[in-house]
Amino acid sequence: MTGDPLDRAAVALGTAGVLLVLMTPLGGDPWELVQVGVGAAVVTALLGALAVVGGRTARVPLVLAAGGGYLAAALLQLSQFGRDTNWLGGNGSTVSYFLGLGAGLLAVALARRAEPDHEPKGA
Amino acid sequence: MYDDGAPGEPLPDTRGTRLGVAALRIGVALMWVQNAGWKTPPDFGAASEPARGLRRFTEFAVDHPVLPPYAWFVDNVVLPNFTFFGWVTLLVEASLGAFLLIGLATRFWAVVGFAQSLAITLSVLNAPHEWHWSYFLMLLAHVALLATAAGRAYGLDGVLRPRWRRASGRGAALLVRAS
Repeated sequence: MTGDPLDRAAVALGTAGVLLVLMTPLGGDPWELVQVGVGAAVVTALLGALAVVGGRTARVPLVLAAGGGYLAAALLQLSQFGRDTNWLGGNGSTVSYFLGLGAGLLAVALARRAEPDHEPKGA
Repeated sequence: MYDDGAPGEPLPDTRGTRLGVAALRIGVALMWVQNAGWKTPPDFGAASEPARGLRRFTEFAVDHPVLPPYAWFVDNVVLPNFTFFGWVTLLVEASLGAFLLIGLATRFWAVVGFAQSLAITLSVLNAPHEWHWSYFLMLLAHVALLATAAGRAYGLDGVLRPRWRRASGRGAALLVRAS
């Protein structure tokens, strides 16, 4: 893992995404802080892992992809909850959590890419 | 008498202080995250009889007024345009949860959170079975987030702010002020 604080931030945000799986009722969230359906659990596990790998290997495209994925998932959830079709199985709390992770990962990735000593690495 | 301009001893900058400030920020963020969960479009509770959810709590501002001008505003502006205000409430509270959680532009969002807490307080403070300190504490928590610039403790503001300070341009200057 690199020592760059931006890479560490990407790892932390990705870990927060993976840990969201624990917020399911099966994972033991008695207060239902965030509603995590099966679809949302799969999405956040995959995108969170992608962000962790991107941060640990300093691959900005992976972090960008994870951030974009979270923002897309937030928009999808926003357009569907309260309606008959709800692929992610979440609600406004899911929108909020995904929005935070998406905005955070994109901010970190864009700042990392703008650093003068940043050497692009392929995904 | 020696006077360096500070009103008293500086606050401690220890690991424990920073962990405490981060815990406050993340806790307040999770409150907004969860609050966004029960603002349910497309009707936000208005289609039920009696009204439920956000519609019910908004009507408290009129049925149990706290500040007459605010009750008038809710009765004559908010309730007739309730779907619009429902979406605004959902988006503001979801954004509060999102940005306070990661500690990005935290001072700006602390101000927004204070304003939203004030709107909630003016709506429900006098409603039956409400504990008034819930709302006072919500307001005070955002004051603490603003005063401590809480995103600088284990938040993205702490990582990105030095870069914004070095950068030129209006956007970077705004982000420095917001963080």
